[in-house]
This record gives sequence, structure tokens and C-alpha cells, in this order.
Amino acid sequence: MPQNPIIKLNDVHLTLKSDAGPVNILRGIDLTVQPGETVGIVGPSGSGKSTLMSIIAGLEAPTSGSVLIAGEAIETLGEDDLARFRRENIGIVFQSFHLIPTMTALENVAIPLELAGRADAFAVAAERLAAVGLKDRASHYPSQLSGGEQQRVALARALCTNPKILLADEPTGNLDGKTGDIVIDLMFKLHAELGTTMILITHDDQLAQKCTHVIRLEDGKVVAPVQAAEMAKTE
Amino acid sequence: MNSERNPETLALAARFARRELRGGLKGFRVFLACLVLGVAAIAGVGTLSSSITTGLRENGQVILGGDFDIRLTHRPASAEEQSWLEGEGRVSRLSTLRAMVPSVKTDKRTLSELKAIDDFYPLFGSLTLTSGSGSQAPQVLLAKQDGNYGALVEQSLADRLGFDLGDQLRLGDLTLDVRGIIATEPDKASQGMALGPRMIISLDALEETGLVQPGSLLRYHYRVALQDGLSIAEFRSAIDKAFPDAGWRIQDANNGAPGIKRFVDRVALFLTLVGLTALVVGGVGVGNAVRAYLDGKIATIATLKCLGASSGFIFRVHYFQVLFLAIVGSAIGLVLGILGAIIASGFLARALPVPPEISLQASPLLLAAAYGLLTATLFSIWPLARARDTPAAALFRDVVSRHKWPRPIYLGALGLSFGALVFLAIATSRETWFALVFVGSVIGIFAGLMLVGHGVQYCARKLPRPRVPTLRLAITNLYRPGAATKSVILSMGLGLTLFVTVALIEGNLRHQVQDQLPESAPAFFFIDIQSNQLDDFVSTAESVPGVTDVSHVPNMRGRITAVKGISAADVTVAPEAKWALRGDRGLTYSATPPSGAVVVDGEWWPEDYSGPPLVSMDRGVAQGMGLKIGDHLTVNVMGREIDAQIFNLREIDWTTLAINFVLVFDQNSLRGAPHSELATARADGPAENELFRAITDKFPNISVIRMKEALQTVSNILEQLSSAVSAVSSITLVAGVLVLAGAFAAGHRKRVYDAVILKVLGATRKDIFVTFLLEYAMLGLVTSVIAAVTGWLSAYLVVTQLLEAKWVNLPLTILVTIAVSVTVAVLFGVAGSWRALGEKISPVLRRTD
Repeated sequence: MPQNPIIKLNDVHLTLKSDAGPVNILRGIDLTVQPGETVGIVGPSGSGKSTLMSIIAGLEAPTSGSVLIAGEAIETLGEDDLARFRRENIGIVFQSFHLIPTMTALENVAIPLELAGRADAFAVAAERLAAVGLKDRASHYPSQLSGGEQQRVALARALCTNPKILLADEPTGNLDGKTGDIVIDLMFKLHAELGTTMILITHDDQLAQKCTHVIRLEDGKVVAPVQAAEMAKTE
Repeated sequence: MNSERNPETLALAARFARRELRGGLKGFRVFLACLVLGVAAIAGVGTLSSSITTGLRENGQVILGGDFDIRLTHRPASAEEQSWLEGEGRVSRLSTLRAMVPSVKTDKRTLSELKAIDDFYPLFGSLTLTSGSGSQAPQVLLAKQDGNYGALVEQSLADRLGFDLGDQLRLGDLTLDVRGIIATEPDKASQGMALGPRMIISLDALEETGLVQPGSLLRYHYRVALQDGLSIAEFRSAIDKAFPDAGWRIQDANNGAPGIKRFVDRVALFLTLVGLTALVVGGVGVGNAVRAYLDGKIATIATLKCLGASSGFIFRVHYFQVLFLAIVGSAIGLVLGILGAIIASGFLARALPVPPEISLQASPLLLAAAYGLLTATLFSIWPLARARDTPAAALFRDVVSRHKWPRPIYLGALGLSFGALVFLAIATSRETWFALVFVGSVIGIFAGLMLVGHGVQYCARKLPRPRVPTLRLAITNLYRPGAATKSVILSMGLGLTLFVTVALIEGNLRHQVQDQLPESAPAFFFIDIQSNQLDDFVSTAESVPGVTDVSHVPNMRGRITAVKGISAADVTVAPEAKWALRGDRGLTYSATPPSGAVVVDGEWWPEDYSGPPLVSMDRGVAQGMGLKIGDHLTVNVMGREIDAQIFNLREIDWTTLAINFVLVFDQNSLRGAPHSELATARADGPAENELFRAITDKFPNISVIRMKEALQTVSNILEQLSSAVSAVSSITLVAGVLVLAGAFAAGHRKRVYDAVILKVLGATRKDIFVTFLLEYAMLGLVTSVIAAVTGWLSAYLVVTQLLEAKWVNLPLTILVTIAVSVTVAVLFGVAGSWRALGEKISPVLRRTD
């Protein structure tokens, strides 16, 4: 029986105004992702990868087109409803980690749970930290952690509410190769355990190949929705 | 979406705020300093004045000398009145007057505030003498011994005349032995302004001095200690009922020293408002600090939004931080304010009848804390409301909120906190009108300075580009994004305006009292000249070479008891005319218009007028009482009620220091009343001392007030007052400088970047230094010129309209203000930029990549 797609973008455009005139960042994106899939989005700098992720996360509203995420037409939601929607459905991992510097690792992981009003926020956060191998670092502040550790905390934070979708924007961009590999392996392992749909934005084609689907963006358009296996063959 | 209970509770926001504050208070030093300063000033002034007022109230009986002080001028109480008073409680009698006192030993003489007491004085508290005066009771020392009565004097009288304990003084026809030096006089504060040192004698001695003459300015006091069970209110209504027309002034112990209380209340109100201005100036710094702090929090805010935090939650988290810091700042301010009050009370102890005992007074402290929290809220709402709209997408690129203005709810909150501040300032002051004008002026100047800030930036943008690159850069720096121009003009401008205003008002008053003595001002006032002495007095005075313009008028005292038939106690009059109803006033009569008087409404009565009583009145006082020509005024003179019709109004120029009376009656109304004459005379150089000696030698009963000494007394009071006012006004200036320092510090990173880029492009350190110097000098100059103009205008209005005094231009004050503020702006600016000049290029460029 065919499932309802977890992500469905229909002819999404995004145009930003600037002093030099309007800039078309996304030009008619169509994208369908089924629950549990992993999708790698690749493309050169400025192709619109991060913007596409922002649209899926509800951080940015499209100029036109429809965005259906987890059955909700999010382009119609207000700012605070979008925040609640993210809290319940989406986890995000950033290239620059974006941990709150004044909070410990445990507190950083607990944020989404606390915002959701969970009484067991810290117990669940501790479990998640343990799952990413940082049980002993719970009371450390971000400045006391290495880049890899910070990204693992960010991963634990993104997944602590069991979101339906995990968005990862260049998660290894600020890490050295070896540390990056550890984080990616962890991401895929947790994805497998939790069954989360995962969108992975990266410059790295090899990394993208780990996903079931790969989408290539160029100049704000999808130029080649390809299966990862096919992409591997062409290389 | 879900409609369940919002999990983003206040408790959760407080928890997040607490975690955020772990980042330290680094960016909040100016925030805290500004709040501490303002709150400390308000709390200090409030605690001190409240403690003084409480002290006055609690010691009311001692200060007043009884539960009641019944005062009559010119006449003693009748036997009937006195026996009625004695039926209500214990009564002590005393008389006061001013008299010349020569020392037998040195032949020096001076005016003394004389007090003659009975055996029961004082009913409350005690009259104490210095240790050298022996251990006998004061009344024993005052009694006749070996043919002479005794006198107790203040040390300053002995110092002035150069006599010692045991020496003799003359008083009228008597010679007195000085038997004691007064250490404390319990009821001194209730006497009002003293023109000379105190001397105490017995009532019996006074009778024998020959100073008690018809019409002499003698005051009879009856102090009453009410019998048990009789309340102050009951006594008041009973005495009003028993003797409605006695014409006495009744004061009760609830307000034992009304003059001091009124003075303390007024000064405290002014200083509180100045403190509030300092807080408002500091508020600009608070706003800047919050804005800078939130600018550094964009990533955190955007992250929290990505993780599902709502905008309202973001606002609450950061408002709690502001609130927490405001509570900390206010608490420190309260502690410092109390400490300040304790220190100031040490200085004030000698000037007050009861040394102020500083106690924790809830209301001034609560008021100061409320001002602190409201100011912090008022100035942080805008940046907080803008921060809540930080888009989550700010994590990915430089996006700014689409909302240029905060949402209506925050604008509402802004209006509410502004309204609450204004309401508090006005509602808690006893003089609503003054508070209204002050608050209105501050708001007006604040708004004006904001406009000026925008205007300066607009002009800088529109100016033709100068060819000199350093000047061009300095001008463009004035309107670059994030420029400190508006903050500096606002904060420094407001502080400087207040400073210039206070300095000019104070300078004008000082000038008025000290240097502006009119050419025609008399050298002496002579009081208590008996009618039969008048001709002799005038010829004696005129016989001294160099003495001119000897003029005299009949003089007696009377109280206005009714205005248009309404009792003086019940009539509503404007604040500026209240003084005329407060005690008894000098009165005179004249067939012709007094010299120097300008009749501005109506005309003078005929020289041969002989009808019902007519009165000529000062126009200002008449207007304040709502009186016009034809209205009636009732005046009690020596127990006799005179109902007079107002016949004309005069404009009096009090600054000439010539003899002037608010009320001048027609020649028949008062002629029958016993009275003395009041005279003035001009004397140049050596004639001054000669005249003094000639009159005091020949007429021991005539009191001589030397104009210079009287003015010196006023000048001393003014000086003490102005140092307090200047000290508190400086707080506003310090707040302004703090804001200035904060604003410059906030721009430091931009300065470093500018300096580095300019260096890359080939600018020398000198070029960069000159650019910064020009920019700060322009800012300082614009701000100080605006402040000088606004301050000049405010001071001019206060001096000419409120104080109705002559305006003297004090260009030096203005020039010094401008020079100092330009220097301060340049020094702070250059100090802040100095490090920027020395920055190495490559690390900065790498950082900003």
C-alpha cells in the first residue's frame, strides 16, 4: 500500500529582495520524500541547498508553491505555529553546531523536550547523550567540548524528541575527515534505529551516496533527481 | 495545531534566563552602573528627606516648644484669653524680638534674636548650656543677682562682639551679665530665619529694658502642653470657637517646624526629579546595553526558534534577564542610597533641629526601586521586541526582521511603562504642578534631542562631501549604521541641559544676592523706631556725612484673615501667593503713592480721603488670591478686624530692596493703631559704620539690619542649597558620561575594522586618529551647543517667569560647559579608539572573513 509522503514540495519558488534587485534563490522545486527515506541534497555553493532545507523546516516561507510536511501545509502556518510544528516533527543539525554556549551538553539536549513541556526532559536527554557516546560529558559546556563532540551533542538534541524528519545541513562541514566520519556513521545508525526520515545537505557527493536518494540542485532548480546507486555507477 | 496548555511556562522561561545569565555580566556593566546611579540618588534623597520629616514629626512638641504655639504680634493675650489657655493645659509664656546688643567690654554691637522666657520654659526638651556655664538652672542664671539680670547667649554672639562669660551686655536701658553660653535650644527651629545670634533673658528683664513700646515688633508666644485626654483637633476647634477674632497664629506639634518641613519637601522633590532624570539618561545606556547584548544573541535566539521556541517565549526569556539585572542594579542602588543618606545626614546634623536618624523608610525605597525597574523595562522593551522577531533563518544568512516597528502589544507595554513612570513621578510629589512642569520639560527635551540626533545624521548625509578625506570620513561616520550619534546626543545632551540649567539658575541667584546689589539699595534697615523718635532719628541719620535717602514709613504687623469674606484657612489660592496668608505681614498706610510703586490697575486714593478702609495691593499676590479691584480683604491688626476694599493694584519690583509692602492702607484706616516706623538709608564707604554707630549709640531700642549681612545670610543658605543641587545634578552628567562610554565601547569592533581597512588602503595612524578626533569633536560640539541653548532657555524661563527675577547672562558658564563636553567626548572617544589604532592588520582580517 503506498504511503503518504512525509515531504511534498510542489513548484516552490523563493525570491528575495535586495538593493540590486530581486534574487531568485529557488525556481520551481518539486520534491517528494517517503517516510523513513534518506535523501542527500548536493550542489555547488549558492545553488539553494540550505534555502531548500529552510523551507522544509519552516524557517523560511516560499514566495509561491506548496509545502506539505508530515501532512501539514506549513506555508499557511504562522511563526509560532511553525515553531511548535518544528518542536513536534523536525530535528535539525547545523554545520556550525549552534549549541547554546551558556548551557551544558545535557541542558542543550534537553531544550526541545523542555519546550515541549516534558517532565522527563533531563532523563530522556541523558539517554540521548549516552546514545551518542557522551554520557561523561553531560555537565560540560560547548566551549569545553571538541568539534566532533559538539556535533554529537547537536545530533542528540535533534533526535531527542523522536522527530519524524531529521534535517542535517553540512553536518561535517566544520569537522576533520575522521571526526566527520564518526558523526555520519552515528547519524545513519540512529536513523536506522529510530526510522526517522533524513535529509542530508552536503557538498560531498560520496557522503550523499550513503542516502537512498540524491537530489542535485543547480541555480535553484533540481537538475537531477537520481538514485544514489545510479550516481555511484556514473562516477 | 494543538490547543493544550502552553508548555512554554513562565517558570521555563525563568530557567532559560538563568542559564543564559551564566554568560556573565560583561555587556551589562554600563546597564548596571546607570541603574545603580539613578536608583541610589532617588533612594538616598528619599530616605534622607523621609527620615528628616519623621524626625520633625516625632519631635514636634520639642521643636515647637509645646503641643501648641499661640503667637500674637504687638499685643499680649488678654487676661481672658490667657486664663482660657491655662484651663486647657500647662502654659509657658515667652516673647521674641530683634534688638541691638552692644558689649560693655568692647563697645562692639550687633543685632540679636532676643527671647525672653518665663519659669516654665521649656515645656518639652531642655535648654542646655556649655560646661563652662556652671550647673545652675537657666532660670536661676537669668534672675536678678547683685542688681543685674543675667543673659544666656550663643557662642557666635560672644565671638562677634568679643566678650567672654561673665562680661556685660547692654540691652535697651538695662545692663546684663552674661552667665551662660547656650549649647542647645530645643525650640530654635520653629523661629524661622535668624538675622543674628540668639540671646535669652527673662520676661522680667525684658519689661525693664524699655524695648517694649507701642508698635514695637514684639511677638508674644503662649506654649501650651495640653492636659491629658485633650487632642490637638479638639483644642483647635475649641480655641477657634472661643476666640474667633483673636488674630493669633496657631501652630501645632504635628508640624512643629513648617518652614523646615516645607523646605525639605521642596528640595527633596526637586532632587528626586533630578535623580529620575539621571535614571532616564541612564535609560539610554540601558537600552544600548540591551541592544548590544541581544545583537550578540542572534544565533542563540535563532537556534531556540529552530528548536521550537515561540517568539513570545524568546521575549520572556530575555525580559527576565533584564528584569533580574534591573533588580540587582536597583538593590545595589538602594544600598548605596541608604549609605549616601547616612553620610549626608552627618553633614546635615548641625543644620537641623533634630539630627536625622536614618531609618529604613519603605516608601522612598520602594519608589526608587519602582523607578529603576520601570526605567529598565521602558528602555529595553524596544530592543527586546525587535529581538523576538529575529527570524530563525538568521542562522543561515544575514536576514533581518520584516518588522521595523515592534508589534502593537509591545508598543502598548512601552506606553504603559512610560505612563507608569510619569504617573509615579507626578502622583508621589506633593507639588503636582512643579512635578508636571519638570516631567513635561524632560520629556520635551528628550524628544527634542531625539529629533536633533536624527537631524544631525540627516544633515551629515546631505552635506556636500568635503575634499579632505579625514573630514569626509568623520562626517560619514556620524550616520553609518550603528553610529553612536543619537545615543551620545540624547544622553549627554539631557545631562548637560540639566547641568546648564541648574548652573545658570544658581549663577543668576548668586549674582542677584551678591553682586547685583542695586545702586539704589539701602545700606541699612532700621526697625522699631518709635513715632516720637522719628524726627530725631532722621536728623541724626542725615547729619552723618555721606548718608543719603533717609526714608521712613509707618510699620505694623497684621494677618490676612479673610479673602472676599472667606476665612483665610478655607480660601483656595495659587501656590505662589500662599506665603502672603502664612503668617503676619508688614503693613503700612499712605496718603500718596509710595515712591517707586507703579500703580498698574486703578488709581491712588485722594490725599484727603476719609471714607471706609481702602487698600492697595501687590498685583501678583492679588492675582494669586483671585482678587480684583472692588473685592474685600479682611486683615487683623492687633486684634482688630479691618475689612478693606481693594482700590488699586501695584507692581512691586522687590529686587530694588527698597521698602515695599504687599498691603498699603489709606491714611485713616490704621492711623489710630499703635505702630512704629521703619526706615532705610543709603550710606557710602565710611559713612556706613558711622551711621551704624550714631544710631545705635543714641537709640538703643532701634534695631539695625545691615543689608550686606542679611544678604550674606541668604547667600550662605543659597550656597549650601546649591551645592546639594549641583551634586545631584552632576549625577545626571555622570550617567550621561557612562552612556557615552558604553556607546563608544559598543562601537569598538567597528572602529578596529575601520582602522584596519584604512591602514590597508594606505592611511597612517595619524590620519585615522584625526578622523576619529574630528568625529568626536563634532559630536561633542553639536551636543553641547544644543544643551547650552536648551539649558539657557529653561534657566531663563525659570528665572524670569517663575522666580520673577532679573536675568543676567553668564556666557562663561555656557562656554565652560561647551569646552568641557567637547573635551569629554573627545577624550572618551579617543580613549575608546586608541587600541583600534594599534591593531595588527592580518588577525583582524582573518577574524572577519
